[in-house]
Amino acid sequence: MDLSQGTARVEEIDESYRRKWLGGRGFNSELLYSEVGPEVDPLGPDNRLIFGVGPLTGTFAPSSGRTTITSKSPLGGGFGDSNMGGHWGPELKFAGYDQLLIQGKAEKPVYLWIDDDRVEIRDAKHLWGRTVPEADAMIKEELGREEIHIALIGPAGENVVRYACILNDVYRAAARCGMGAVMGSKNLKAVAVRGTKPVNIARPEEFYRVCSEIRERLKRDLMVQMLYDQGTWLLTMPANYEQGWFCWHNFQRGNHPDAKKLSGEAHRDGFLAHREGCFACSISCGRFSRISEGRYAGEITGGPEYETLTAIGPRIGLLDMDKVVHNNKMVNELGLDSCSCGGAIAWAMECWQRGLLTAEDTGGLVLDWGDQELIERLIGMIARREGFGDLLAEGSSRAAEILGRGHDYSISVKGHDMSQDDPRGLGFAFGIGFATGRRGGDHLQGLPCLELTGAFYPGLVEKILGTKEAEDRLSPVKKPEMERYQEDLKAVGDSLTQCTFTHSWSFAVQPEDMARLLSTATGMDYTAEELLRTGGRIVHLERAYWNRLLVGRLEDRSPRRFTQEPMPDGPNKGTVFPEAELIPRYYQVRGWDKETGFPLPEILRDYGLERIVDELEPYRAEYQKKVEQAANPA
Amino acid sequence: MACSLYHEGKCSPVLSRMRIIKYETIGKSYPSVCSQCSKPQCLAACQQGAISIDRTTGAVNIDQALCTGCHSCLTVCPQIGFHPEKRVAFKCDLCNGSPQCARFCPSGALIFSGADEHLMARRRALADRAILAAQG
Repeated sequence: MDLSQGTARVEEIDESYRRKWLGGRGFNSELLYSEVGPEVDPLGPDNRLIFGVGPLTGTFAPSSGRTTITSKSPLGGGFGDSNMGGHWGPELKFAGYDQLLIQGKAEKPVYLWIDDDRVEIRDAKHLWGRTVPEADAMIKEELGREEIHIALIGPAGENVVRYACILNDVYRAAARCGMGAVMGSKNLKAVAVRGTKPVNIARPEEFYRVCSEIRERLKRDLMVQMLYDQGTWLLTMPANYEQGWFCWHNFQRGNHPDAKKLSGEAHRDGFLAHREGCFACSISCGRFSRISEGRYAGEITGGPEYETLTAIGPRIGLLDMDKVVHNNKMVNELGLDSCSCGGAIAWAMECWQRGLLTAEDTGGLVLDWGDQELIERLIGMIARREGFGDLLAEGSSRAAEILGRGHDYSISVKGHDMSQDDPRGLGFAFGIGFATGRRGGDHLQGLPCLELTGAFYPGLVEKILGTKEAEDRLSPVKKPEMERYQEDLKAVGDSLTQCTFTHSWSFAVQPEDMARLLSTATGMDYTAEELLRTGGRIVHLERAYWNRLLVGRLEDRSPRRFTQEPMPDGPNKGTVFPEAELIPRYYQVRGWDKETGFPLPEILRDYGLERIVDELEPYRAEYQKKVEQAANPA
Repeated sequence: MACSLYHEGKCSPVLSRMRIIKYETIGKSYPSVCSQCSKPQCLAACQQGAISIDRTTGAVNIDQALCTGCHSCLTVCPQIGFHPEKRVAFKCDLCNGSPQCARFCPSGALIFSGADEHLMARRRALADRAILAAQG
């Protein structure tokens, strides 16, 4: 879809390409690498916004309804993608598409209406400025169709807040990396889809049997039952009281005595209105919350989940559930990524705490931790890019650059704010993912739950990594290997697409199961081994995307706090993340150069990426100089 | 998806006998499916004798070999679907007494039980409330 020209065309995807890149994230990352070079401005018309669904999307395969959105990120300036649940992706598939590529920029606000084979660009002037639920309702009314699914941005995306998100079905966000800002920069408010075509299954009876077997297994799985019961809120209690990685005041502490106010039980018993499942989901970790008392009484909203509740809660000094739920409603309706929004506010509050920001910088605002009135005001100001909010809309990392101070309190990697997960307690495989992440600081780099929930599956960690010791979160043993395995697996899941919680968190779905699902659905026979190698191929290509931007080893750096400041108290008192030990080992396991952090030519060839070996070489040579300069600054 | 895959070997909401009506802003969903009436309007509307009640399961079934695709049943009830390729009507047949939707429903929102069993469960729920209230 070219918005500058106002034209659309359809291309077939051939079978060898499908075999090599699977779908979803794999297709998207390959396309981004091929079409969006290092010179492209993330907010310019040449950037692409790519929506991708996979070979299992829209089928009966459990929890397969997810969508990946990929673009060059305006937040980190490099690789960006984001994944959302809901029902939009399957609808795109039912309309007959695996991928939707948007390029160019519309002259004035528009939205897309995809009704099976018919694609229409429609005026969105009247929708501009509207919140997500308002615009969703208006589009449905205007098209006279209630049963459609709409992916859209809120005012934050229109105002190109660098971490604006895209939502579908009103409350399901593709939150991270500023995909909503890219959409806003293209003057695109929404993509409404209606599909009526079936997804054909190559071996339906066999596929049905495989799905049935895996669904029965998921139903009996303890992790799934817990996620259904409490959603990801279930993390609060162990994170705070047992494991010490509950993000308090921008990671200054890893626990708080009153964290139980935000426990899974407290949410379920006092705030849960409804459990929400994405398309074909057999977990239903999604929440709908209702506030029944206090100043927000009567409010109802989708979410929040754990990362959101901690980002706009304890990370900025709040422990009251009604405030957290209300803030979640605000960020969703305005179209902001809760993690980066919380990260930016937390940065400002910590700078204020340390005297690095004064009323002169903030336009008179006093940035005290946990001041709910201030927080509500700031969220609105960020979405509208008003006053001090305009600075925070740049993200904590750029804001520190612009001001020239407070760098150490931007808890981010490659310009991308950390999710609310502290490797000094959560685990060292997670820490490797944070430091080296393809999106920057991000628990979803690999979601290496083998070190978090792996012990619930007797023999599993030992089978995969050869030692039970790796079950210990804070042991360095086999953590590079664990992170690599989980990253490859996640890349497969994101490409099929299948929700990560089915195969990492719950480990009920194993790579062999994914291969059986894929083989019976498509008729192309895959083995678990081929799938994991495909996952590895995707990870290497995404790495090369960063390398082409001259980002490598020097930028694979945890926030200073995690490596230099020992956890001050709680169960992991004194712990730091052993980055200097683990990152070189991870490079070795990955086959990345220990100096530059670029994938070695033989690894690229081994993974079927020979075509980028020569292309990458000049970038590697240039980066080598950067590394030498950094070693000898004189 | 269990439904369309079981019946048609394809995954498609359009071919599913059950449709979900969603209210995204308030987080509610409503499963819309045939209630297997004992005096079905669709059966009365069918001029071809294609619709009958299965004696074992109680399901109101469409014999697709007899269906002429006239849409009469669709005009009297919204729970009938129309197959775009086969050009015949289709509806929930309770999967020969083992509905796949209920089998795979992860939350227990859909359950399959006999009429009396279902009524007694509801009566018991009412009774529980009354007894609990009386006990204070």
